[in-house]
Amino acid sequence: MKQHVSATRLSWGLLALGFLLLIFGLFVLALHPTAGQKTARALVLTAYLPWMAAVVVFAFLLQAVLLRSHIAPWLLPLSLFFANVGLVEIARLKPALFIPQLRWLLIGMAAFLLVLRFRRFIVALSSYQYLLGILCLILLALPLVFGTEIGGSRNWIVFGPVQVQPSEFGKIVLVLFLSAYLADHEEVLTAVKHRFFLFQLPPLRFIAPLLCIWGMAILLFVVAKDLGSALLFFGIAVFMTYMATGSRSYVLIAMLIFGVAAALSYTFFGHVRVRFDIWLHPWADPNGMGYQVVQSLFAFGSGGVWGTGFAHGHPGLIPEVHTDFIFAAIAEELGLIGSLTLLLGYAAFFLVGIRIALACETMDRILLAGGTSVVFLLQAFIIMAGVTKFLPLTGVTLPFVSYGGSSMVSGFLLLGLLAVLSKQKGRLVS
Amino acid sequence: MKTGKERQAKLHVLQVAAVLLILLFVLAVYIIYLQSIAADDLAHHPLNQRSAQTEAAIQRGTLLDAKGRVLAQSFAPGQRSYPMGAAMAPVTGYVGERIGSAGMEAQANQDLLGRTESLTRLGPIAQLFEADRGNDVKLTIDADVQQAAYDAFDGRRGAVVVLDAATGAVLAMVSCPSYHPETVESDWDRLRQEEAGPLLNRALYGMYPPGSTIKPLIADIALEQGVTDENEVFDCNGKLDVGGGQTIRESHGEVHGRVHLSEAIAESCNVTFGALAMRLGGKKLNDGFTRFGFSREIKGDFTGTAAHLPDFTNLSQGDLAQIGIGQSTLLVSPMEMALLAAAFANHGVVMEPYLIASVVTPGGVTVREGQPKRWFEATTPERARIIDGYMEQVVQKGTGTVARVSGVRVTGKTGTAENAQGEDHAWFIGSAKVGGRTVAFAIIVENSGGGGIEAAPIARKIILSME
Repeated sequence: MKQHVSATRLSWGLLALGFLLLIFGLFVLALHPTAGQKTARALVLTAYLPWMAAVVVFAFLLQAVLLRSHIAPWLLPLSLFFANVGLVEIARLKPALFIPQLRWLLIGMAAFLLVLRFRRFIVALSSYQYLLGILCLILLALPLVFGTEIGGSRNWIVFGPVQVQPSEFGKIVLVLFLSAYLADHEEVLTAVKHRFFLFQLPPLRFIAPLLCIWGMAILLFVVAKDLGSALLFFGIAVFMTYMATGSRSYVLIAMLIFGVAAALSYTFFGHVRVRFDIWLHPWADPNGMGYQVVQSLFAFGSGGVWGTGFAHGHPGLIPEVHTDFIFAAIAEELGLIGSLTLLLGYAAFFLVGIRIALACETMDRILLAGGTSVVFLLQAFIIMAGVTKFLPLTGVTLPFVSYGGSSMVSGFLLLGLLAVLSKQKGRLVS
Repeated sequence: MKTGKERQAKLHVLQVAAVLLILLFVLAVYIIYLQSIAADDLAHHPLNQRSAQTEAAIQRGTLLDAKGRVLAQSFAPGQRSYPMGAAMAPVTGYVGERIGSAGMEAQANQDLLGRTESLTRLGPIAQLFEADRGNDVKLTIDADVQQAAYDAFDGRRGAVVVLDAATGAVLAMVSCPSYHPETVESDWDRLRQEEAGPLLNRALYGMYPPGSTIKPLIADIALEQGVTDENEVFDCNGKLDVGGGQTIRESHGEVHGRVHLSEAIAESCNVTFGALAMRLGGKKLNDGFTRFGFSREIKGDFTGTAAHLPDFTNLSQGDLAQIGIGQSTLLVSPMEMALLAAAFANHGVVMEPYLIASVVTPGGVTVREGQPKRWFEATTPERARIIDGYMEQVVQKGTGTVARVSGVRVTGKTGTAENAQGEDHAWFIGSAKVGGRTVAFAIIVENSGGGGIEAAPIARKIILSME
């Protein structure tokens, strides 16, 4: 019991630390001679202070509610720590987007509260697993049909003034669908009916939904040019299938299919080839095609171990630095210390999620908690690897840190799922 | 049965977690590599505009002369004025966005920006030390001497170096023609194409045959090696047969008759020094030139090229004689000749030349100070005294009387160097005890004629400017 109390206290501390970081960062910006003036013009204290106060109050109330309901104490403080890192970087990089991001954070926390409030409704959702599957396919297919290309990827839907990234919500539905489907069909999926070379496979009709998801991911990759999302979806499907079945055959087949698809699209589609060539030889055209990733690498180098100091670097040289490339800005100004801290933060967050999965008692809950944790870590990994040229993949946001409404709201929805799972006992479907 | 299935799933969850954490670990290792081992290359990559942008935002510090007069000053980032203009250009150099930088603007760049390389990437700690105004750099230059020397050229081409022989402090460094540092960026293309080469700092990088100014060095080697002594009498009949049907002649057809070594230097007797060089041979000449630092490159506050020395192991008698009178393929810079003069004026010891007297922060704190440093011993105090005496005779009653200043002990050696470009280069090197110190100097006026007539008067003007 004593340990529980100290964990609670520490979680309050972490929550406060995140906001202190934000306030401290805003002070530094206000005092900075050149960057500060720019920020001061765009960021009027009286304009953002009410929003910030609302966020702080909401966050502390939310944490109080969570602790009273015996929900894992670390989920919200960690997410808000990431969000505060993002907010302070956005205030420095794109001051005009600071208030919108505060607003998205409020909406995100509201969405989180809604998930907690309507957890029974969400429980009911999982009994309509095929509906979920179809919804997932629709969400993924929407941008392919009606999509608008923004920033080189066709993964946006524009409704008047609002731009939505359906794939951000698609991944939630995917996790819900897969956990329900795999929990129900785990036995048939592991029952071996066919032997196919080295692989042991059940009848085709059982694995058809999985193949659909994989196929969709590959379509995303080819048609929407959304390489990061494609790998994210594919990875979620593969990891969750393995969690349910423990079958290495699925993993091998999936990787084989992905490899063949990647090779084929490299051969037949110009834009895929361009993406890969930029990755392999960014220095061949450092001021053209390779500009963004080369500038990002410069940011990591100029940052070095200790960083240039907050507001003392030049991350503005990187296009899209406030969304996909925000990690490069953090690495430049806060150095290796900052980039590793964030990386370790995601690892810690992932382990909190995995602990929740291990504490669950039923198959669907284990898969849902495990899958949700995988979404966060895999997404963070993909974008961090992308901006460092470790992998040729970008096009996803850094969870809770990057600027963006879709990303923030979907992040808090997934967080809500983890929170619900850390509380409830018994099967989701009663 | 059922619990077994869930236990299996949890095991798989752990396996997946392990795989993902390993992936994350590999990425972490790669990021550590990027931000530590690969960081310097990326930070200093020519396409990385970050350091240029940082520099552009800093107001550069002021360049001052030894008496605190402004040589280069900024009132806002990106602007720079040079009150002494073209006369001081070889010292200050220039700084431009498109053209890079030269001179002290390049050498003292980090100081003028107020940065210490080791601190630039220390994050928050660097911010404590970082100012929006750079440090002031006080030089050893005396603006009066510089201006007097520059004016003395009056449009002719050439260079001057004036050193404090006892400390190595550079007092003046003139190169003509010059350029105006404020307009160098807009005039760049024209300046680069100009045949006279105004952007070349002749004082450090001009390579000339030394002519007769090399004779004090030959005399020192000859005395050291014992191929002659102070009492030997040479017989000059106006020409020296060097074998192969070649002869070396005196200028203007002079005949010096019977001379001692001291008179041979005072009258700049080619026959004597041609003969001494042939007696010495390539090996001993090479050792002598090396002893006087001619194969060393100058490093420190500024860089200077080493002399171009002939291949001493493979010289004919004629070539040896030519070396003895400072011709053949031997090429030296004015800075090196000033150091040669300084060696005799400073008891055989050559001090390392330096330009930065001190670096001071805007708040008045001295960050570092230039310290006189003993560089090498060129010759013994005894021989330095002997040669210095000979050089005094040059000014008292020899070829360099034009440089005489009443009440000041002046030594010197004239030179009239034949060259492929046209008329002879006029040289004058030497020293003077003036203003409480011993200064050494080297002066060259390109394609102007005799050293005693064209270069020695400039030495006199320089000495007068220091009185």
